[in-house]
Amino acid sequence: MSDVVMAEIRKDYLYHLVLKGERADGRAFDEYREIVLETGPIRKADGSALVKLGNTQVMVGVKIQPGEPFSDTPNKGVIITNAELVPLASPNFEPGPPNEVGIELARVVDRGVRESGAIDLEALCITPGEKVWIVFIDVHILDDCGNLMDASSLGAIAALMTAKVPAAQYGLGEDYPLPVKDVPVATTAVEFGDAVIFDPDTDEESVADTKLTVITTADGSVCGMQKSGPGFISQDHIYRIVDIACERAKEIREKFLEV
Amino acid sequence: MIGMDEKLSFFKNGLRLDGRRPDELRPIKIEVGVLARADGSCYMEMGDNKVMAAVYGPREVHPRHLQEATRAIVRYRYNMASFSVEERKRPGPDRRSNEVSKVSREALVPVVLTSYFPKSVVDVFVEVLQADAGTRTAGINAASVALADAGIPMKSLISSCAAGKVDGEIVLDPMKLEDNFGEADVPIAMTPNGDITLLQMDGRLTPEEFRRALELAKTGCQQIYEIQRKVLVDRYSSMDVPESCDESEGLVEEGI
Amino acid sequence: MDRMDRNVVVPGDRLSDDPKKAGEGTYVMDGKVCSLLYGMASSYKDKVRVIPLAGKYVPSPGDTVIGTVQDIVFSNWIVNINSPYEGLLHISELPRKIEMNEMSKYLRIGSSVMIRVKDVDSTMKVELTLNDRRLGVLTRGRVAEISPTRVPRLIGKGGSMINMLKKELNCNIFVGQNGRIWVDGNDDDMDLALKTILIIEKEAHTTGLTDRIMEFLRTEKEARS
Repeated sequence: MSDVVMAEIRKDYLYHLVLKGERADGRAFDEYREIVLETGPIRKADGSALVKLGNTQVMVGVKIQPGEPFSDTPNKGVIITNAELVPLASPNFEPGPPNEVGIELARVVDRGVRESGAIDLEALCITPGEKVWIVFIDVHILDDCGNLMDASSLGAIAALMTAKVPAAQYGLGEDYPLPVKDVPVATTAVEFGDAVIFDPDTDEESVADTKLTVITTADGSVCGMQKSGPGFISQDHIYRIVDIACERAKEIREKFLEV
Repeated sequence: MIGMDEKLSFFKNGLRLDGRRPDELRPIKIEVGVLARADGSCYMEMGDNKVMAAVYGPREVHPRHLQEATRAIVRYRYNMASFSVEERKRPGPDRRSNEVSKVSREALVPVVLTSYFPKSVVDVFVEVLQADAGTRTAGINAASVALADAGIPMKSLISSCAAGKVDGEIVLDPMKLEDNFGEADVPIAMTPNGDITLLQMDGRLTPEEFRRALELAKTGCQQIYEIQRKVLVDRYSSMDVPESCDESEGLVEEGI
Repeated sequence: MDRMDRNVVVPGDRLSDDPKKAGEGTYVMDGKVCSLLYGMASSYKDKVRVIPLAGKYVPSPGDTVIGTVQDIVFSNWIVNINSPYEGLLHISELPRKIEMNEMSKYLRIGSSVMIRVKDVDSTMKVELTLNDRRLGVLTRGRVAEISPTRVPRLIGKGGSMINMLKKELNCNIFVGQNGRIWVDGNDDDMDLALKTILIIEKEAHTTGLTDRIMEFLRTEKEARS
């Protein structure tokens, strides 16, 4: 179940294309694959979204339940983000608790939601020090064809934006939409020789050594970043990625999240 | 059970809470070949149940010591997403999903021709995305189609369905409310010939009621079989093939 | 109920009441011939058989395939041949003699090779050989993968389809039994070749494919000029 060594002839081909300014599927370096977003497919969840990014498919479910706050933040609600890289999604995923890749994915998705202030944690307080709303964000990968990060982040914010706080079933008033105050969008690129390539697919991800995810908010500020992979990244590339990230995120926000 | 002073009736004018007759299945939606990475896949909805099944294999077994010299091993992993149930479930296997995995595997293995692929594994993964009673039967149905989609040689497909007893009546394909407050639940799986490969029961039934439940579940399986078969056949028949042509010319004549 | 009315069959579909007619891809139960596979049923000579529409490649002695070197272990290269079974290329199966410490220089991890299956024993040990002038390391061109079940259609009866492609596309094309295909030519020709091969894979089960492909190539080449 471990990764198969990629044929050099394939790697050479990808680099050859990049030198010509091309990619295997004909996209431009900063172009995203087709995105299909469906909100609310899981009616039993309090919020949900299915994201298709090219052939990558991710389901995100949001469950909101009352619980105890953390002792150091008695007036704030709690966000708990988890990602399951289930073996159904890739020959390289093994059953078991999340490994470092899954944990990193969850923590970066969480960072986008938390640092952007998308969820007003104080508004989630029910009884200070005793009861607050716990928001579970559960990312369930269905098909890994590259760039799980952007698909998962998009799913998370879309699920949150369409989520309802199920107050009625807990006798805490009427159900109401979860108040979401910002729209973080993650954009990921890989470094490929001299080029910076956005929304990498499976092959591009395995060939590249370095990946950078940039999460931006509705007003274009950066609220989260993550360099991942065992390679170097040049400052030049970092700035280039940040600039394009803001543009792409804005487009995605406008097209899919109606913002 | 809910308090007797507020008895919920599960029948109104002979129809169930969701408008079904006692011998009616919930609506089914089924799609094959929906995942790119998997060798075979099937997405299925049975009522409010939403399951995704994927098959990888035959492929190399890791760890090696699990492999069998003369045939493939079959593994089945049933897993529920945290958001699939009413109260958020902690991710990971639990005793129930372990048992469901075992009996589901044992429902499919009798028809898989494992001797064709010694020293390999056929991995079946079922993810429950939304649960409403009957996820194990939905899983087996989807898994069977996914196995065919992956090209695994089998004696036949397997179809699965449950019958239950609610308010004294034997009903087909109980939904969650009926299952929670019902008197019995009998999930089964079978080949189209009626050979049974899964049988479980919990609750309380007289032997005669059990016989009726089993026969009813079998009719459900037969209906599901036709739906499973159709989605597989339609996938290749939907391409433009001129009626007058001898269809066997296609893949068959020219290539061999 | 006999299921020969539609050509696509699923495992368990009954194909014939005459057990003597049981051909490839079928099995006999209670005197009836049934399909083992998800595939296309057909009568061929006096047998009924099922050609699979999906499934993995199982190596057979004599097959020529395209492999990727995964590892070097003692005197063997471990080669991925797109199968549940990996292939072993022993140092003695090369066209010339080399020393063990030269193995990586001759064929390194990640190399692609056009290679033949020499033998498959009962424990599924797959022995490969490069000892043939027509075989060797692939240093140029591109390798694509299709379902191994579509290889017969891509080759065509007596090579009809593949020879037509080689001529019309001005490319060297080699089709491995394991579904891997090597093409070599200039960039544009290779692009068209692979695009065409994917169409053939998708429509392999339909009739009139060879004509449609010829027409497709004609239109594409016209558009280019």
